[in-house]
Amino acid sequence: MRQLLLIALAAMPAVTAQAADLDGKQLFHQKCEMCHGPVGMGTGLLARRMKVAQLEKRDDLSAAYVERAARVGVLNMPPITRGDVSDAQLKSIALYLSKGKP
Amino acid sequence: MDLPNTPASAATLAKTLKAMSDIVGAAAVFATDEDRDAYSDRFPIDPHRHRPYAAVAPTTTEQIQALVRVAAAHRVPIWTVSRGKNLGYGTAAPVVAGSIILDLSRMQKIEVDVENATVLLEPGVGFYDLYDYLQTRNIPLMMSVPGNSWGSVIGNALDRGLGYTPYGEHTRNLCGLEVVLPDGEVVRTGMGAMRNSPSWQLHKYGYGPAWDQLFVQSNFGIVTKAGMWLMPQPEIIRGFDVEMDRMEDLGPLIDTIGPLRREGVLLQSPTIGNWFRAANILTTRKQWTDKPGSLSDDVISAIRKQFGLGWWGVSLRLYGRETVVQANLDILEKALKAINPMSMKPFSWRPGEAFAPTQGGWMGVPMTFPLQSAAWFGGRGGHIGFSPVLTQSGRLAMEQFRRTYARYKEFGMDYQASFAFGERHLLNVNAVLLNLDDPEFMKRVDPFLRTLIADARQHGYGEYRAHIDYMDVVADCYDYNDHALRRLNERIKDALDPAGVLSPGKSGIWPRSYRREGRA
Repeated sequence: MRQLLLIALAAMPAVTAQAADLDGKQLFHQKCEMCHGPVGMGTGLLARRMKVAQLEKRDDLSAAYVERAARVGVLNMPPITRGDVSDAQLKSIALYLSKGKP
Repeated sequence: MDLPNTPASAATLAKTLKAMSDIVGAAAVFATDEDRDAYSDRFPIDPHRHRPYAAVAPTTTEQIQALVRVAAAHRVPIWTVSRGKNLGYGTAAPVVAGSIILDLSRMQKIEVDVENATVLLEPGVGFYDLYDYLQTRNIPLMMSVPGNSWGSVIGNALDRGLGYTPYGEHTRNLCGLEVVLPDGEVVRTGMGAMRNSPSWQLHKYGYGPAWDQLFVQSNFGIVTKAGMWLMPQPEIIRGFDVEMDRMEDLGPLIDTIGPLRREGVLLQSPTIGNWFRAANILTTRKQWTDKPGSLSDDVISAIRKQFGLGWWGVSLRLYGRETVVQANLDILEKALKAINPMSMKPFSWRPGEAFAPTQGGWMGVPMTFPLQSAAWFGGRGGHIGFSPVLTQSGRLAMEQFRRTYARYKEFGMDYQASFAFGERHLLNVNAVLLNLDDPEFMKRVDPFLRTLIADARQHGYGEYRAHIDYMDVVADCYDYNDHALRRLNERIKDALDPAGVLSPGKSGIWPRSYRREGRA
């Protein structure tokens, strides 16, 4: 069985990790969750000064705030470059985290 | 805006950027003040010293060929980053202020050969991207990740980054590169030099001189694809988390691990860390003391007690078939018990089982939580590395430790160190934790680092990797035959890059036109 699986996988074509039409949740996972997931640096540090440390669980974020925070950085969060996360991608992420609040 | 520190005039820079925009499109050119800040060093001694002029983000090898030709025609320096997350070594920032950053973040192709346990990657693929790729497809291959896994898999290997598994010396996993040379020509190394080779990612050397390492920590070309070996998932991982009580236990611990590593009982790259390396992720300085200067022995004892830490700790891991791992575990256990550890916690994991997130590094699971050390002083922080290459001698490592620790106290710094095993060498990876909110503190950092580098040099220890501020002074330590290696690097640089535009100053290698400037 394992051998069959290996052969099937070996025949897989190249893919691009970044598809163009990802939604905010998927983009958050790709671009932010490394630090703002359950065990990331961002969550670890926010937990020292906030009750709700995981961004996805907060209900006090506005999209505008998320976009500014990502671009200029907050305390030990470095600014996110536009090469890494484009303006359009950041907007999707911000709307996802703000649950639609502009 | 800061004045560029490049030989190019403002008009030339603007003209160059326009030509680059025509190649990649305006949506892939970033040249606002905010962009310049975002591509600057995040853990800097002086944030303005290395501010770039702009960044461009190509998506194909062809675009990169065109971009280097434009840069050469205008003699404008470009600085290549894979993802630009090299925290502690300059982040995305160039040595030469006013350079244009070539940000390869958007090149994200992944091709895995499951049967042969290899992957062909583009530079924008991060450790998390590759991890997700393998996990979502249930591919039974294991990565090795560094303590900060935010960055690029290739970028880290090209800077000789380290992980914690048997594949922990990341540069050794490289197998076959695609490189854009400074004149725009594309070359493939190893077996990739054949148009139709099925073994580009299998045989590292090809025929004749092998060039992969020529493009590691260098500025001789831009790597656009790299083959890497991945580890077939082991049947089981077992081992011990070991704590040693006293600072003088470092020597015996090194002398116990070294022979097992050289013999191959241990295949991973174990890293011995001091108590502070573990503690500064969990707590902040202000919770323990308000006194400036290095932490006192009383404070150190209190923090160690709170978190159950030895002065030194190390996680040793055995990988592979269960019967072999069990046999080696017995050997390891006996050797460790002979040096009386303060504690020795057994570890066991099989693929598919749950594990504590903090243990993920030994299973090749990416992590960022160690960067919580940036908050040690309470506000904005970071670190700069100081990492001399030592031998696997407990006595000599102990002497280096005592010298370094005395300097940390002299300069009022909190001592973070690790000793990471290679197969024959030992890397003494120290971090100098920064307090970016305290200008007086920051003034001490540069003289401190230069002192550490000079001390190490006296004993024949050079660094394996350096922050952009220290590339010259570290390169200068490599002084055999009046710096013959530097002259060789310069001859290659001038031959391949006569316009002198690819990452000038990287690893202390300067093109001819810069040579009287920038030296430490």
